[in-house]
Amino acid sequence: MKQKISVLMDGELFEDEAASLLDHIKRDSDLHKDWGVYHLIGDVLRQPEHIHCDLSAKVRERLQDEPTVLAPRGRTVKQRMRTIALSAAASLSAVGVVAWMSLQISPEVAPQMAMQQTALRPVGMQTRTNSNDYLIAHQEFSPSTDMNGGASYIRTVSYSRDEAPVKNNPDEK
Amino acid sequence: MTDREVDQQLVERVQRGDKHAFDLLVSKYQRKLGRLISRFVRDPAEAEDVTQDAFIKAYRALPGFRGESAFYTWLYRIGINTAKNHLLANKRRAPTSTPFDAEESESFEEASLLREVNTPENELMSKQVVDVVQASLQQLPEDLRSALTLREIEGLSYEEIASVMNCPIGTVRSRIFRAREAVAENLRPLLETSKGKRW
Repeated sequence: MKQKISVLMDGELFEDEAASLLDHIKRDSDLHKDWGVYHLIGDVLRQPEHIHCDLSAKVRERLQDEPTVLAPRGRTVKQRMRTIALSAAASLSAVGVVAWMSLQISPEVAPQMAMQQTALRPVGMQTRTNSNDYLIAHQEFSPSTDMNGGASYIRTVSYSRDEAPVKNNPDEK
Repeated sequence: MTDREVDQQLVERVQRGDKHAFDLLVSKYQRKLGRLISRFVRDPAEAEDVTQDAFIKAYRALPGFRGESAFYTWLYRIGINTAKNHLLANKRRAPTSTPFDAEESESFEEASLLREVNTPENELMSKQVVDVVQASLQQLPEDLRSALTLREIEGLSYEEIASVMNCPIGTVRSRIFRAREAVAENLRPLLETSKGKRW
């Protein structure tokens, strides 16, 4: 554990190990002292003419009167970068899914549907003028009127020149 | 994990309400900050009080620290402001006419300005600590002494030390630790006897 303190203060410990070690130091006062002594040794080696007395005990004493600081979980630069990277990855994924879905819809489907419609179209449906008049006259009683509005007046009809007109009304002649 | 990242992790712990983590930051930076403040405040007792004040101000301001600069740069700025405010409150001028920032102050090495006016008790204690550390260093085997010196004085990384000493990084890690521990073994009795005093 002491060796890990030595490695941590040199900035050579992995992040997860550092978090675990700091928890240990918090619980073990001897490890806390080792942290202080190792830093003192470094300061003495670098600046032997500027060694100060230990202030940590006094600061600790004064901190007892201070309310505990609690900062909202602010985002660090690292966390912000991670968020940006995740957002970019999510955007790319979304674009990829849309592109994939558009490729899945085959361009041959539309002509096929058009062909089916042609095949199913009733040929030779005879137009009956009087029945159309009847339907239009009774449209207001249709239960679908409110839903469809003007669409209910639209009817699909077909017309063929080859066929002779149907004689429904003898008076028309 | 770099030194700055270690500080950031400690800061985040303090921001979550862990006062103990702040204690570790005080242990780490107290002498550096004290040295900086003593450039402004010559009286050692006053400098000590100002250093404590600076740490308390830093603690109060920590919720607003977002890690955009290094913790020590931010702390030193607080230290300089606290020292200047102290001088203003006592209507004295700072001992430097040119403004300098935290990074510059780190490398500011003019002995005449930096020399502290220690009390006899402090001076004696400081001298004893320095003597023990230096004597212990001289007693170390060559490989341990070199590893510790390259790390603490030259500031080389483990990888660089491994390259210089032509050995694996694991060996460097072990040598530095053993060197520190050997020096600490000699230092602990001295620190224990002065417990409750100034050390």
